[in-house]
Amino acid sequence: MAQLENKVAIVTGAGQGIGKAVSEALAAEGATVVVSDINADAAASVAQAIGGSSFAADASSEADVQALVKHAVDTHGGLDIMVANAGIAHMAPLVGQSLEEWRKVTAINLDGVFLATRYGAPVIAEGGGGTIVNIASITAQAAAPLIGSYAAAKAAVVSLTQTAAIELRDAGVRVNAICPGFIDTQLVNDRKADFEALGLPMPFDDLIAAKQGRYGTPEEVGKLAVFLAGPRSSFSSGSAYVLDGGARASVL
Amino acid sequence: MAELEGKRALITGAATGLGRAIAELFVERGATVFLTDINEEGVAATADELGAAGSCKCDVASSADQEAQFAAAVEAMGGLDLVVNNAGIEIASILVEQSEEDFDRMMDINVKGVWLGMKHATPHLVAGGGGTIVNMSSVAGVGGAPLLGSYCASKAAVIQLTRVAAVELRAHNIRVNAVCPAFIDTAMVDRLVAPVEALTGLPFEDLTALKQGRRGTPAEVAEMTAFLASDDASWTTGSHYVLDNALTAGLL
Repeated sequence: MAQLENKVAIVTGAGQGIGKAVSEALAAEGATVVVSDINADAAASVAQAIGGSSFAADASSEADVQALVKHAVDTHGGLDIMVANAGIAHMAPLVGQSLEEWRKVTAINLDGVFLATRYGAPVIAEGGGGTIVNIASITAQAAAPLIGSYAAAKAAVVSLTQTAAIELRDAGVRVNAICPGFIDTQLVNDRKADFEALGLPMPFDDLIAAKQGRYGTPEEVGKLAVFLAGPRSSFSSGSAYVLDGGARASVL
Repeated sequence: MAELEGKRALITGAATGLGRAIAELFVERGATVFLTDINEEGVAATADELGAAGSCKCDVASSADQEAQFAAAVEAMGGLDLVVNNAGIEIASILVEQSEEDFDRMMDINVKGVWLGMKHATPHLVAGGGGTIVNMSSVAGVGGAPLLGSYCASKAAVIQLTRVAAVELRAHNIRVNAVCPAFIDTAMVDRLVAPVEALTGLPFEDLTALKQGRRGTPAEVAEMTAFLASDDASWTTGSHYVLDNALTAGLL
């Protein structure tokens, strides 16, 4: 039985990678998905495959996010699920990163989640309640070199998730975060060489295999997103769910 | 999603409360279940009601009982895919006033019981090519609570056992996770109301409502357990999934 029948969802950063897989998983469970991405063509192509609609938006733009939420209401009659997924990474040591690059990362990865909550939650509450799922990262809990701005923003997303969960509980809006380990996505693939250039004792893929068994798949994040978006997690709120093949379980 | 068709599960502490609710949902999702409890008559009645493959008495602190329960389960079901180490006790007393006998009993059942469950289940899971273990922890495993000192320590230990088992058993295709529920509507929580109120002078139900909105239901804990047990959580291992409606997200 489909878990998300008659639900309307927005997924940001949904043109590729985790956002695309989450959109597909929500749609497979019966949800109508607004596929949003800064890349209009990528969003349209995902929406064409899964139904729903697409909407080009910069997740860090207040006007764009307002328009995105309005689009969901105008086109699909309301909003039940918000998945704040849009994110970028900029590889640089903290000492050596420009303030401009720092702000670009936090604008999308943190401001974007704030805006999704700020404008999504009231509409979700108005419709009788629903869920927000924020895509954070295990880097919210433990660091890796070269992605300091990314990790700091993701840790802030977990904190924002906690506050939102408490403030929105009485309105019937549950808010949770997912903290994936390294997933087989473009975002990770593009950066292997930078990590290897640090002088790792083994190839990056071997280190990943040792820490987390294998790369996770975007589809596996999609399954957890469905669980957290739907009725089966009705007592979950304010939590950050780690999905990492055991990477964080060991200090080695 | 999260279906358990074709899976064979052993659930401890299954006569009543959370264990019973987990058994009920597993059966609903298509699993074959074998139920155990220290209350032999109680678990036999529950097994009968739910159409379980069988049941037996098991004191989880006894290595012989643990070995016997898995042998009986494999005999009855033809193999083993899922294990829920759920059996546990609570003892409410001021930590430094607790008797040594009570402290030992707590560790024997809640910690050694989970360890023995993993120890004796593993050969059967390995024989079948892998499987999934879900250990019942608690929000008391991630935060303290007055009167629950040894219980808190035992549930934190369950999280640690879960982490190490996950990393060590990953190569055997065995996933190990823990569930950390907040205050759930069970007889165990009912028993805590009077002593906590007597010690703190605070109304327990009002405090619970403030911190977690309402009591969770055993069915909601069962849903989280079923998710972790299912193939939908195929990359989740070594994690503890909190289920608390934002209790631990909050400071106040």
